[in-house]
Amino acid sequence: MSRLRVEKTLKLYVGGAFVRGESGRTIPVKSHRGEPMHVSRASRKDLRETVEKMRAAQPGWWKRTAYNRGQILYRLAEMLEDREASLPTSPDDVSAAVDRAVHHAGWTDKITALLSTLNPVATTYVNYSMVVPTGIVVAVPHPEDGLLGMVEATCAALVMGNAVALLVPPERAELAVAYAEALATSDVPAGIVNVLTGDLEDLVGGANTHDDVDCLYAASGALGPSLLTKVESEAAHMMRRVVQVPRAAEPASPLTLGRLSEVRTVWMSA
Amino acid sequence: MSDPRPKTLSVAASGRPQLKLAGALELSPSPETLKPTIRERYGHFIGGQFVDGDGSQDFDTLNPATGKALARIATAGQAEVDAAVAAARRAYETVWSRLSGAERGKYLYRIARRLSERSREFAVLETLNNGKPIRETRDADIPLAAQHFFYYAGWADKLAYATHGRPAKALGVAGQVIPWNFPLLMAAWKIAPALAAGNTVVLKPAETTPLTAMLLAEIFQEIGLPEGVVNFVNGPGSTGALLVNHPGIDKVAFTGSTNVGRAILRATAGSGKKLTMELGGKGAHIVYADAALDQAVEGVVNGIFFNQGQVCCAGSRLLVEESVSEDFLERLKRRIQTLRVGDPLDKNTDMGAINSAAQLARIQRLVDTGVGEGAELWQGCATELPDTGYFFKPTLLTGVQQTDTVVREEIFGPVLSVLTFRTPTEAVQKANDTEYGLSAGVWSEKTSKLYETAHQLNTGVVWANGFNLFDPTSPFGGVRHSGFGREGGLHGLWAYLGDAQ
Repeated sequence: MSRLRVEKTLKLYVGGAFVRGESGRTIPVKSHRGEPMHVSRASRKDLRETVEKMRAAQPGWWKRTAYNRGQILYRLAEMLEDREASLPTSPDDVSAAVDRAVHHAGWTDKITALLSTLNPVATTYVNYSMVVPTGIVVAVPHPEDGLLGMVEATCAALVMGNAVALLVPPERAELAVAYAEALATSDVPAGIVNVLTGDLEDLVGGANTHDDVDCLYAASGALGPSLLTKVESEAAHMMRRVVQVPRAAEPASPLTLGRLSEVRTVWMSA
Repeated sequence: MSDPRPKTLSVAASGRPQLKLAGALELSPSPETLKPTIRERYGHFIGGQFVDGDGSQDFDTLNPATGKALARIATAGQAEVDAAVAAARRAYETVWSRLSGAERGKYLYRIARRLSERSREFAVLETLNNGKPIRETRDADIPLAAQHFFYYAGWADKLAYATHGRPAKALGVAGQVIPWNFPLLMAAWKIAPALAAGNTVVLKPAETTPLTAMLLAEIFQEIGLPEGVVNFVNGPGSTGALLVNHPGIDKVAFTGSTNVGRAILRATAGSGKKLTMELGGKGAHIVYADAALDQAVEGVVNGIFFNQGQVCCAGSRLLVEESVSEDFLERLKRRIQTLRVGDPLDKNTDMGAINSAAQLARIQRLVDTGVGEGAELWQGCATELPDTGYFFKPTLLTGVQQTDTVVREEIFGPVLSVLTFRTPTEAVQKANDTEYGLSAGVWSEKTSKLYETAHQLNTGVVWANGFNLFDPTSPFGGVRHSGFGREGGLHGLWAYLGDAQ
């Protein structure tokens, strides 16, 4: 005897909560089972509210010990591994994503040792350059990189102490929401990772003109050439950092991670 | 013991600047006597040769201390920029990228050595063309420039150790545009890491201060730097625009105003060029009540009057703890009244000329705006300002607020806005309440306070019990509207390596 499936409403993941887009607009897509679904279409107002929550949450994330941040990213790997069957993507994608989260979990208490320097200046000061978070990162993973792309963008931003909002087009919304469910149970503090689904061009346009977005991260090819040009051009107003990275096959190198941070040089009185 | 009471030295008859302050020693003039050779006209330096270039838009480069012309300078148009980029590309492909790192490094060492040998000549020429005191060019600009080449020379054969496991690849041709406030030093900051990392360079010196770059080109010839590895194109901003927009360059490094930086970002958007932006600042200087106040006074003076305040990281906002503010201001004014403003070539001069009439007018306009918005103006120095040239007295603006134009906008002159605070939290909030984020300073005798404050200041550089200190080993650069990318140190090298940027 057949049973009627209970469908899932695809919501946005903002500030640790699953919310409907404020505009009430949705985009129809097919689920991985071929059933009709309606993706929440995040508006600019949704983005603004997300950034507000990110700004409030980010200092707390950075203030945690590096060891603790590593444990939380490791727990994200655990949560993903456990959900392999329920994540609407290939088992290989889940395995790669889990392994990637484990990889980055190991960076949190090491990356600053590689990117910071103690500079032998010719005076009596103790001169050191340390990395501090850039702050609010809006990230566009490559849709074809699936879960791995989302995990790579998330972890790269989080390893460096930032808060991140992932922008995801409708065709990856089902996966993104399932990923957000793993995030919600992984001890990542509310507001540190957010998932906004909708029209990519529209969302990127919103980030471009938001004065409190410090950095726009995009995987190679995730934005078309004209959209990328617009991103770089509109970044000029706020001197927003535009960080282009390769596709997610390889984890971010230390120097790529460094681009998600700022270098602060201190001349400390000796 | 000298008489500490105010006195006036009656030396006006001699035509010499008059000292007006208690205890200030009367000093005989001590002018630098070396006369560097300056040609009548300079074109450009392309492919290892000085070329005349198109002469239709020549302009004068001046001595800001007199307002008189030193030489005629050519304006590079599309043809010259094309030629320079082509020369740099050729040098990159046929010579520079094929040399071992060790060999590249040896050229840089040679440049460093030759700069030191000819440092006096460079110092005088820089002072003549820029207006800053010879004491600064002699003790800071030129030695630091040489030190910068020497530092990066040593990186050239060690790139593989700098990139944490990724291949260290040069970018190609770097287009660099530099400002007039530290002409030779900025050229060194740009050229040395670019060359060490294996890139070749086309650099545009500032419109008003091209002369030391032209002398540097002579050094390149002298030491046998392969043709085209470094090229100079002279001209105003329009030449700079041609350079940064040129499709033949792979990297843009710019130091200058935030507005020009924005224009460059918009123009290069979508081009794939790597960028370093070293832009404006509005540095805050926090003085706690428990600071060594006289040392802090020296730091504040150095922070805002060094190079006539024409420093992107100048400490142009003084935040002094309320309980000591009156005492501190009194000490500060007393110290400022001993500053000798005048002939930049005089070795006793503390503050020289503003670089141009336009900059002088801008400083005056912003000070007028400040007064118009309610600021109280105080100016002082130990001398009368010279009759000719572009001079501006050391200036304090008190009674200002966070929202005032002079507290928010970069003035790029010897003008210090004075504010007070009551708690460390308020000090940090006020210091960070700016669109800029280049530099900040903090003064206290309590180490824990220094650390806590220094690490909360949202800037690229923080000086604890100091200000305006520079070193080739120490990465320099800003956050937010002050730009991105670093110059100096390991981080400055990354800005010129492919995978790193």
